[in-house]
Amino acid sequence: MKAFSLAWRNLWRNPRRTLITLTAMILSTAVLIVTHALMLGMMLQMEHSVTDITVGQVQVHHGLYLKERSLYDTIENWEKILSAARDSGITAAPRAFGFGLLSSGNKSAGVQFRGISPAAERRVSDMAANMFRGEFLSDRPAMGVVLGRKLFRTLDAVVGSTLVAVVQAADGSLGNELLHVEGILKGVGEAFDRSMVLMHAEDFATLFVFPGRFHEIALNSRGTMTPEQVAEAIAAAAAGNEVKTWRQLLPGVSDMLNSFGGSTAIFLFIFFLAAGLGVLNTLLMATFERIPEFGLLKAIGTSPWRILRDIAAEALVLGMLSSSIGGVIGAAISLYFQLYPIVLSGFAEGFNTSGIVISAQWSASLTLRGVIWPVIIMWLVSVLAALYPAAKAARLDPVRALNHV
Amino acid sequence: MRRGYMIVISMMVFLCLSPLVSLSGTEAPSSGDILNHVDDLFRGSSSRATMVMKVVTSHYTREMTLKAWSKGKDYSLVRILEPLKEKGTSTLKARTNIWNYLPKVKRVIKVPSSMMGGSWMGSHFTNDDLIKESRMADDYTHSITFRGIRDGQAVIDLTLIPRPDAAVVWGKVVATVRENDWTPVKIDYYGEKLGLERSLVFSDIRELDGRMLPASMRITPTDKQGEYTEVTYSEIEFDLNIEDSFFSLRTLENPGVL
Repeated sequence: MKAFSLAWRNLWRNPRRTLITLTAMILSTAVLIVTHALMLGMMLQMEHSVTDITVGQVQVHHGLYLKERSLYDTIENWEKILSAARDSGITAAPRAFGFGLLSSGNKSAGVQFRGISPAAERRVSDMAANMFRGEFLSDRPAMGVVLGRKLFRTLDAVVGSTLVAVVQAADGSLGNELLHVEGILKGVGEAFDRSMVLMHAEDFATLFVFPGRFHEIALNSRGTMTPEQVAEAIAAAAAGNEVKTWRQLLPGVSDMLNSFGGSTAIFLFIFFLAAGLGVLNTLLMATFERIPEFGLLKAIGTSPWRILRDIAAEALVLGMLSSSIGGVIGAAISLYFQLYPIVLSGFAEGFNTSGIVISAQWSASLTLRGVIWPVIIMWLVSVLAALYPAAKAARLDPVRALNHV
Repeated sequence: MRRGYMIVISMMVFLCLSPLVSLSGTEAPSSGDILNHVDDLFRGSSSRATMVMKVVTSHYTREMTLKAWSKGKDYSLVRILEPLKEKGTSTLKARTNIWNYLPKVKRVIKVPSSMMGGSWMGSHFTNDDLIKESRMADDYTHSITFRGIRDGQAVIDLTLIPRPDAAVVWGKVVATVRENDWTPVKIDYYGEKLGLERSLVFSDIRELDGRMLPASMRITPTDKQGEYTEVTYSEIEFDLNIEDSFFSLRTLENPGVL
């Protein structure tokens, strides 16, 4: 303990030098924490934009549905899958799909109707919160629809417009209904924006004369389980159907995210190295500057071990002080960016690439690991950086050390 | 697309008879004469018909009673009389456009080009089949490839190969007619790779409005086991006095015109 109080006194014998070193270390620690949080935030945001906006972590289909897209290839025992998901604490949304024509005045478009359960959809995905205009579907079937971001332009529709849907119903008849536009979604992905029409599952059943049948169940644990764990949890109930994780459903997007993750890791490594070397340099210079001082200590009979111990103690105190201050500052800044995302462009909508939406808002993600690692690295760097010149000084001949410039 | 189909459509929707060519059994007929006869058999100034269309697919079976008016090859109007749920649902064809009238929502919807390949009222006919028409003798090179007795019936087979410039989807069409009166018996449609894709079989030859006609025809797609669409005429009148203006959106929207 005596060594530490001595170290503390020693540090403030030259406040300017100590403050410069301290500032360099605090800044490096804080910057490392913020950078890590921002990178992690971007990664999570990309994965989130895939799984939470529409896809979910895992999807169940009839074995042939993804290949044939036939109205008649529906999921078997969908109730069983939903209850298995509920038992495992996984949110699940059943969806029914059908193609048809939607027209408004003399404008018309070929669209994909999606019969959904609005309440379940709110739990599984962020679709409901992703509204461009108007409201998401209400829980009661009332022939309301929500249109994709580009479709409403094609149809010249606004919230409140009446549209006519014409479809080939499951019984061969010409299904037709008047639909009311309740809302318009924000951009989600090219195909989705161009052709998607969301409606209540019961309205879908009326339009397509197809009650109680679904083509897709989207499952999402909302961050509590990995996609593989989710697939595992419902595997037994979903027997006879096809269960796929989002990475299997969208291999292109998955590869893109993986390569982005790899490049982020390399970037972070370089950044840590640069910050570490910067601090190393500052500390080396500060210790070399004091070699004559160590020579004096040796001349009055201080043992080399004692010198080494005192310098190590100083470095530890300095490292502890700077990394805790830096840690607090870094965490605070990260937390700020987590709560108040950085707005990247004037367009509040974001842009999408390969079907995934990159939000125009970049938020940080603060984790315990993201704070602890920079702090530990700074400690190690400070102790190592001080020990090397100290060891050199401790072994020096006092006279030469005194004259060392 | 599927220009060869116009026979089907002509029969189904706009069945019209031009005066029958009088045939003398002694002369050797040319394939062109026979094709023109088959084409003209189902095309004329105008017609009004009532028919039953039965559609059998692996997912549903449905039967509709239809009433149809036609004039030339450009105009036709079809209304569903039964089942009750779909009563009044109508299709108007004027030249290359098709509109559907939906009584439930009281709206007229023009069928966009992207939906032309879609099924017409759940049958094995597409909207395209309704509007694409031509004369077989114009679009195909043709020759008689069989003449004799098959299944106890004296028949003539005509093999049609599309002309290079013809907008036809079929690679080959084989039409079989009765030798005595050139009434069509069967038409087989082969794809570009010459595999059989659809067969059209005529049956139930009887007198309709003073003409001997196959009252029933059945279209069978080869790739869908057990599926078919069958059209049977119960009534037909030819050469009526119908104005072009009858085939208007106003008539389409007026359910009183039956």
